[in-house]
Amino acid sequence: MVAILQKYIDQFIDLPAEELEALINSIEVRSVDKKVRLTDLNETEKYLYFVIKGLARKFFYKGKEEVITQLAKEGELVSSSVSYFSGAPSGYIVETIEPTTFYSLHRDRAEQLYSRYPKLERLSRLIITELFLQKEMWELERIRYNTKERFLRFMTDNPELFQRVPQKYLASYLNIKPETFSRLKHLLRKKNSDAPFLK
Amino acid sequence: MGDKNNVARDCFDQLLTHLQRFIAIDRDAFEVLVPYLEIRRFEKKQVLVNQGEIDDYLSVVIKGLVRKYVPSPKGQVTLQLATEGHFVQSEISYHNRVPSEVILETLEPTTLASIHYDNMQLVLNTMPGAETLGRAIIMQMFIKKDARYFDQLKVSTRDRFLAYVNNHPHMLQRVPQKIFASYLNIKPETFSRLKHLLLHKK
Repeated sequence: MVAILQKYIDQFIDLPAEELEALINSIEVRSVDKKVRLTDLNETEKYLYFVIKGLARKFFYKGKEEVITQLAKEGELVSSSVSYFSGAPSGYIVETIEPTTFYSLHRDRAEQLYSRYPKLERLSRLIITELFLQKEMWELERIRYNTKERFLRFMTDNPELFQRVPQKYLASYLNIKPETFSRLKHLLRKKNSDAPFLK
Repeated sequence: MGDKNNVARDCFDQLLTHLQRFIAIDRDAFEVLVPYLEIRRFEKKQVLVNQGEIDDYLSVVIKGLVRKYVPSPKGQVTLQLATEGHFVQSEISYHNRVPSEVILETLEPTTLASIHYDNMQLVLNTMPGAETLGRAIIMQMFIKKDARYFDQLKVSTRDRFLAYVNNHPHMLQRVPQKIFASYLNIKPETFSRLKHLLLHKK
């Protein structure tokens, strides 16, 4: 299980064995059923979760409608991250879609680590930077690509999620109306049998 | 010469005041940073970073106004209007060292306090406490960006307009309407209608 975390960390930094060990010792392994709410609205997010197996989503309510802002699969982080890093009340809800096993790091334990291990503190800065840049990329994607293009790009990058995630969640995440989503799905199937569906 | 130094000193003092609004940094710690910083001045309508260029700076606006935007098939989309105390940069370009997709342009004569990417790395690698400071800064930028993201998805056009104008009353005068409308993601004709609403409220 550590290998998947190590791979994630390697993207950012060459972590000394001692610091990786300190991190592993501070981490809790947590397994929960599907549809379990890990973080609720207005709570302070206590954990940063790393998905080992399973699937989770992050969303907020717009009136009664759920707006999904993230689908987190194996090897990805999920958390109400602004709340986790800043201590402000969460504007988001984090909930599992499938039975899921996480590595989770409590924010108090994390702070203790940062004060003792300089590379872990750097890693946390680099992770915040990455989350920050992802928001920027999300905004640029929405400007640059139309609905159809965003749908095809997502399906190309995450073909397995099409099977694993309920359609209404995918539609919400991609900000596509359910009826448009059905139409686009049809396009995917047709294209799939022809040729690679995205050049 | 002396005057020029005084002006720069004044800019650094303002920068410290801006930073102290969200991070615990005292004057001594700040003075250690000053040799790594630059004060940069620009005319109105000057392009700081163009598409395809790499942005080498993280800046705080000391005086003036910088617009960050991206051309699109539907017209220019304004992503940020940075005024006094705001951070501004082409984020992806600066952090990942890739050509910028966005354009940074001044809308007014502008003074920036900036740190070059290389100096940032130098500070992070050599100065005790720099990581903590760097983390606090990127955190602040992340909070701001998340708020905008949230706003765009959650808040209605009318409420977004009213909230922005209430929080930034001077901006209606400082920013051309077309740019303003593209920043708030409001159609120009809707914008005029909303502005009318505002006048009646007063």
